[in-house]
Amino acid sequence: MLGSAEKGPKDLQKEVLSAGLCSACGACVNLCPYIEMVEGTIIIVEDCNLRSGRCYDFCPKTCLDLPTLDKRLFGIHRSNLAIGSNIAVVKARATDGEIRSAAQYGGVVSTLVTFALENGQIDSAVLAALSPDKITPEPVSVRKRSEVLRCAGSKYIVCPTLSKVIEAMDETKGKTGLVGTPCQVAAVRKIQEASQDESNEVGLVLGLFCTWALSPRAYDYLKETAGSKSIIKLDIPPPPANVLIIETEEKRLEAPLEDVKRFIMPTCNICFDMTSEFADISVGAVEGDEEWDTVIIRTHLGEEVFRQAVEAGLIETAVLEKEKLHHLYEASLSRKKRVLLEMESKKISNIVLPAEDRVKILSNQEA
Amino acid sequence: MAELGKEEPERRMLMMGNEAIARGALEAGVDFCSGYPGNPASEILDTLSKLADKLHFHVEWSVNEIVALEAAGAAAFSGLRALSAMKNLGADVCADFLMTVNLSGTRGGFVLVTGDDPSAHSTTSELDTRNYARLAEIPLLEPATTQEAKDMTRWAFDLSEELGLICMVRTVTRISHSRGVVKFGQMLRRDRKASIDPQDMWTSGSSNITCMFHGILHEKIKTAQERFEESEFNWYVGKEDAEFVIVTSGTGWLYTLEAVRLLGIEEDVGIMKLGTTWPLPRKFVAGHLREAKEVLFVEETDPFLEQNVKIAAADMAVTDVGPIRFYGKESKHVRGEFGAGTGELNVDIVIKALAETRGLEYAPVAKEYLEKTQKMLGSYVPARTMSFCAGCPHRASLYAIKKALKWDGRNGFVTGDIGCYSLSMLPTGFSLAKTLHCMGAGIGTANGFGNLEKFGMDKPVVALAGDSTFYHACIPGLINARWNGANLLLVVLDNATTAMTGHQPHPGSGINALKRLSPKVPVENICEAIGVETRICDPFHIDEATRSLYEMLQTKGAKVMIFRHECPLAFPKEKPATVYVDQEKCIGTECGCAAFCTRVFGCPGNIWDYEKGKAKIDEALCNGCGLCAQLCPKGAIIVKEAA
Repeated sequence: MLGSAEKGPKDLQKEVLSAGLCSACGACVNLCPYIEMVEGTIIIVEDCNLRSGRCYDFCPKTCLDLPTLDKRLFGIHRSNLAIGSNIAVVKARATDGEIRSAAQYGGVVSTLVTFALENGQIDSAVLAALSPDKITPEPVSVRKRSEVLRCAGSKYIVCPTLSKVIEAMDETKGKTGLVGTPCQVAAVRKIQEASQDESNEVGLVLGLFCTWALSPRAYDYLKETAGSKSIIKLDIPPPPANVLIIETEEKRLEAPLEDVKRFIMPTCNICFDMTSEFADISVGAVEGDEEWDTVIIRTHLGEEVFRQAVEAGLIETAVLEKEKLHHLYEASLSRKKRVLLEMESKKISNIVLPAEDRVKILSNQEA
Repeated sequence: MAELGKEEPERRMLMMGNEAIARGALEAGVDFCSGYPGNPASEILDTLSKLADKLHFHVEWSVNEIVALEAAGAAAFSGLRALSAMKNLGADVCADFLMTVNLSGTRGGFVLVTGDDPSAHSTTSELDTRNYARLAEIPLLEPATTQEAKDMTRWAFDLSEELGLICMVRTVTRISHSRGVVKFGQMLRRDRKASIDPQDMWTSGSSNITCMFHGILHEKIKTAQERFEESEFNWYVGKEDAEFVIVTSGTGWLYTLEAVRLLGIEEDVGIMKLGTTWPLPRKFVAGHLREAKEVLFVEETDPFLEQNVKIAAADMAVTDVGPIRFYGKESKHVRGEFGAGTGELNVDIVIKALAETRGLEYAPVAKEYLEKTQKMLGSYVPARTMSFCAGCPHRASLYAIKKALKWDGRNGFVTGDIGCYSLSMLPTGFSLAKTLHCMGAGIGTANGFGNLEKFGMDKPVVALAGDSTFYHACIPGLINARWNGANLLLVVLDNATTAMTGHQPHPGSGINALKRLSPKVPVENICEAIGVETRICDPFHIDEATRSLYEMLQTKGAKVMIFRHECPLAFPKEKPATVYVDQEKCIGTECGCAAFCTRVFGCPGNIWDYEKGKAKIDEALCNGCGLCAQLCPKGAIIVKEAA
């Protein structure tokens, strides 16, 4: 059972931090005075002398028990080996022009967060906002539409979102929602699992598709490339482009993706979850179409909120082309296969996966 | 204190040794007093500064001991009577001048008072400054009682004036800080005029001139020795022409008296007490060792008297004294917990030495009683480490440094220096400091560490310095760092006072030793003039302090962070805030806190309720600074400002 690992910060240091597995999700920050994040690096400032602790229990990289998390969220073993349990996969986009222009692609995330806030499903949400330098993100707690819009747009550098979620769970009354990467979503579920008597504090969990995130050390590189101009938007167009697009107030620059990839967090190379398999709703891009988002509706809560938003006329949906859906499955499965092999060779074993699933992935069998 | 300045020549008063020394200087008509605070000598100038206005003489806390001695020397050149007082290590600092002013000579009486610290209770060395008297070839007086502390200081000015030579009075902790009854003498205050004549030449010269002066110095010492032969400060008691003689000086005198009495051997031994220990009054010494076959030396700290008497005895062998078996520190008979020649004397040590050399049995208490007592003491009085006061800004500064170094992640370290913050080596200072030697050694050693990159030293170094320490000894170090490209971060802990020694003022205080307004020389002005990045921050703004420090660690070169916040003892708040722990919010030892305030932060005001398993505040100690409240992870510590 999660939360009874009887392990603490010393094990966190050994198994995650020193092993280069930390993804800077922020779940261990703000729990106590002993763990802090400095420029994307988790530092244990002082020994708390406790053998077991929440830092280890909450960390998504210590142990991800997929069957247990699946059971808790969905009640069953996962229905789809490639992209996790889900009720439906659709194409969707915001109908609101203001949201569409602020968003990276379809604007579904911003719409859903705004809707959940205005609808009272959640009282606040933790999103990633751009700090004044316009490159490094920082987590903020938002309550209204204007604040949500300020957070719209993809962030490529890690953001310790969970640190703000934990703060919100401690301090605010009512429910907190969040938008997070797969590791952050997993961490929130581990938190819910570990603090069973304190549930009902987390509301809508929106997960993002994610293949990698950059360390804050990328900041200097990006700043240099942009020159002294402030950055408005970053984007990675689909292959074969192989560039990172940096839009400044003046012009549109291209940085070679190879150079940018130098700053990928090492842990991303062995991340099993590309589509935030434990979110209520997962949202990502649509291959070759900047106007729409791919939306994976997973839980009943997610289905409810999504349906209401559609009924309110805030989101329009369409059928996702079969080809693109299969590409999504393939991409995710091939990633899982690569990761499993990598984990084996590096002797990393922080995922609990039923043997038969493992066999299926390794032998290229789709779910 | 004002009483010490009164005439009343026959008055008897209970006073501290240091106060007696001050009184002695006043009776001698001292005109110019200087020094630097340092235990156990601080009260000498503290006392004199309170009487300076009334009795019209000059007192100053100098920026360091060499400036102090040089300034006093100048007064002596000018014909005034001058006194310089300092702790033992201060003599190290002014040694350069001491070793030249002995040769140049002086006109007015010039007295150096050094306070030694056997067992190094609050010093980083056990330096026995009597060695300086021998090194500098100047007369040395060692008081054995509070009365002698006054009388010797008084007489030292006369001797100094007669010889035209600086004289030294050496005291130790137990003389300086114990109290005895002292009979006042006459106050001989004169209206001296300071003058430097055109023919004056105050120098130790060089080459032939120096040798000539050195020869003259030897003559002066010979004269001193003649005076010493007749001195009232030397005496002999006990068995006439004894075969077993105890030769003692300073605190050894009273310890020896007591030991001899407890052993019941007053009739069997002779005790020679010397107050003029260098140059040795050889005739006096030989006179009482004529029949001696065994001699036991009782003195602190070094076997100084022991060695010098042995030299004299060797000289006088056959003619004046016979073959003698010498006992003392070199024979290891007089020894303490850490061996012979180190540590303070006490009666038990002397008893043991006498019992061993005389073949006597003596147990101060029955063995079983002693064992029982030690066991009980262990449980009732647990060993405790030293701690910063509640509300001390050093705790905040060191916590910021600790965190900033952890954030930096390169295992950087701290070099310590002298002051309250020397405790940065201990758990109260998060055991941050890795070195601690003498004034200015923090930045001094950091200069070395900061230039070892070519040898693979990849850790940032943080040097500590107090504000008073900065003025005393750190400025050359900072200039050197800039000039020689050392990578270091100097953190000046500016608590607006010279705290450790009793809150004396310094050049940043805006007042002088007489509590009069005087120009400030701000630390930041000096640093900026040297040309290094300088920041100022209140360490109680702990987040800002940590972040700023972390930023400074990321750049190369020499930089200074001034952590400025006044010492709460020197500047107590009229109405401090009330602080308490909300027992509902406190989570004690649970994950999320793990007793942070008591276990890590460690302010004496933060204590533990063992029954409830929660933290609470000791209201008697709490200073109301509120730093623990800032750091409490649950916001359970509440600060209620005074109405």
